[in-house]
Amino acid sequence: MSLAGNANVGKSVIFNHLTGLHQHIGNWPGKTVEKAEGTLHFKGHTIDVIDLPGIYSLSTFSIEELISREYIAVENPDLVINVVDASVLERNLFFTLQLMELETPIVVALNQMDMAKKKGIRIDHEKLEKILGVPVVPTVATSRAGIYELMQTSVDVVEKGVGKPTKIRYGEEVETRIQKLSEMVSKLQLPYPARWAAIKLLEEDEHIEGRIRQLDLKIVSAAREFAEEIERIHGHSCSTVITSERYEIAGRIAREVQQIVRLRKVPMRERLHALTTHKILGYPVMVAVILSVFFAIFSFGDYTSQLLGTLFENFYSIYESVFGTGILATLIWGGIIEGLVAGITIALPYLIPFYLVLYFLEDSGYLSRIAFLMDSLMHKIGLHGKAFILMMLGYGCNVPACLGCRIMETERERFLATFVVTLVPCAATSVIILGLVGAYVGFQWALLLYVVDLLVIFVLGRIAFKVLRGEPTGLIMEMHDYRMPHLKTVVKQAWFRLKEFVIMAFPLIIAGSFIIKLVDVLGLLEPIADVLSPVTVVWLGLPTITGITLIFGVIRKELTLLMLSTLFGTTNFASVAGFGPVQMIVFTLVAMLYIPCISTIAALAKEQGWKRAFFVTFFEIAFAIFLGGIAYRILMLTGM
Amino acid sequence: MLQTEEATLEKKLSELKPGEKGVIVSIQALTVHRRHRHRHSWGFQRRLEDMGLTPGTKVIVVKSAPFHGPIEIYVRGSRLAIGRGMAERILVSVEK
Repeated sequence: MSLAGNANVGKSVIFNHLTGLHQHIGNWPGKTVEKAEGTLHFKGHTIDVIDLPGIYSLSTFSIEELISREYIAVENPDLVINVVDASVLERNLFFTLQLMELETPIVVALNQMDMAKKKGIRIDHEKLEKILGVPVVPTVATSRAGIYELMQTSVDVVEKGVGKPTKIRYGEEVETRIQKLSEMVSKLQLPYPARWAAIKLLEEDEHIEGRIRQLDLKIVSAAREFAEEIERIHGHSCSTVITSERYEIAGRIAREVQQIVRLRKVPMRERLHALTTHKILGYPVMVAVILSVFFAIFSFGDYTSQLLGTLFENFYSIYESVFGTGILATLIWGGIIEGLVAGITIALPYLIPFYLVLYFLEDSGYLSRIAFLMDSLMHKIGLHGKAFILMMLGYGCNVPACLGCRIMETERERFLATFVVTLVPCAATSVIILGLVGAYVGFQWALLLYVVDLLVIFVLGRIAFKVLRGEPTGLIMEMHDYRMPHLKTVVKQAWFRLKEFVIMAFPLIIAGSFIIKLVDVLGLLEPIADVLSPVTVVWLGLPTITGITLIFGVIRKELTLLMLSTLFGTTNFASVAGFGPVQMIVFTLVAMLYIPCISTIAALAKEQGWKRAFFVTFFEIAFAIFLGGIAYRILMLTGM
Repeated sequence: MLQTEEATLEKKLSELKPGEKGVIVSIQALTVHRRHRHRHSWGFQRRLEDMGLTPGTKVIVVKSAPFHGPIEIYVRGSRLAIGRGMAERILVSVEK
């Protein structure tokens, strides 16, 4: 069976309750849309559960909608649990009606009953059940209320089946044409219900039209004719009329089953909403939230990664005493184990808290408010407000941010967003900025680098926006009411994201460390650094050995800093001759911009293909070197 | 601005002030030509309609974000944020 419903209705919470730990998250075959599968064990039954993406409709506007629709229509699950937000009943029923048209067995989980109650909405679920003709189970997923009943009802429906759901009838003009068309369609061999296909034909659904055109051209032209007739009668396009009537039906049902009591005082969450989207106060609140989140994560991350570092150093002395310092032992340690350690010291201290906080904020509803506030600024670079959230994600780690760019609506915007995101300094880059420039040149210079980075993002983003032609998509997003996030679901989300990162990045980090260590053991590092010296020494004005560290940075950015201290033989960079404030700033600037690390390149390739991944990589290397050289000359002129 | 009936006035949704109510009249497509409809305006109009912004729907403008930002509207019992560019293409009738 499968779970379907709008976004933010508590679908994943219910999914977690149903499947517990028996979950698996992958992708839909050939698509970059996430597919969550799990198993429900209930009274001796073993049931596969699939969590479909959160969507508002079953048209083919987005890949998610198409996937969900094809899955339900073609794979024919035994049951679809439609999770419905009781506090926004009308909008959710619009989706329920579309599911009913697909003629699969449905159970409605009327979720967030507590939220509805708080908003003064009372729903007669028995009446709703009668009107829809499908079982309706009221639930409060966050406190597990109604989940047992939901399982029981679902199993009953699968085993015994239920009566036919109520047929949704449209207005006279539309209805007669649907019936004529569905008679014609029913003669074809289609995996879809005839009536549904007829409705989709009238809505001029490209996907269905294409399929039927191959079988019988006449039906498509008949549908076109009908659609034009309806358009003449109503003065709106046929799909508009159908959508509109469907919403009317949803609205009528909602009004019939719910009673709304006016609340006497303005609730806390409304005041919070007003404050966080306020045209003046909203911004300082946003800045305060983001800064405190980053500050907390960096303090925690710094502390923990040092702790882990010491731990592994102790471990190394044991390793050395056992295996010695032979070539093989060095290779295994420096290549494989250090790669692993490197992965752990970035993933554990920085990524885990970052994911936790981020999903907490998302589930609470705050991220959509940030998207609201930042929309106009993001439009300057051809993106809308949601892309700002991806940029925030990028400050933690570019990898999940790249993967997250799937949420953008069009192909062009996905590429634009991925490009912008790879320019954001991630946690590892911040380690360099703060650890080198912040510590040895001055905090204001570190801050300046962040500002320069934002300017670079803005300028390059704007250029890319102009180069990649096309109409930017506007923002359209539901801002659901603030609520207390469900902690278990937040933790689980963070856990899956972490797993995704580990699977993708760890092999690359380890392989990369190994190769570089091999080059080192073979004594090739210095010749390579010499080859690079025209760039590093002549153009950027840096010491020769920085070429080596910049190569290491491909694996992980903060390795550039760690390597620097190894090669200089000191952690006090101020004492190194030929590496003054100017060099530090130039070095950091280049390290900040020069390349998305190897894991990010892999994420880029996964989402955008290797061609674009290489293009972005080489462009950013060239750009960083170009900008670094210019910065060097400007800084020298100021006489630092 | 067009005068349609005596008691109502047609405006763009983006022109409504916070607190003002209106009823959606139509959504203006980017290109009118039927042949190009699929390529250009289809997605945009479809998306708005799927979110419940169909002709005849009542909307209340709650607020608009500064710097020409999106507007917050209340429609069909839920709260939506809509980019300014989109709001400019939605025609609503407002009671005088």
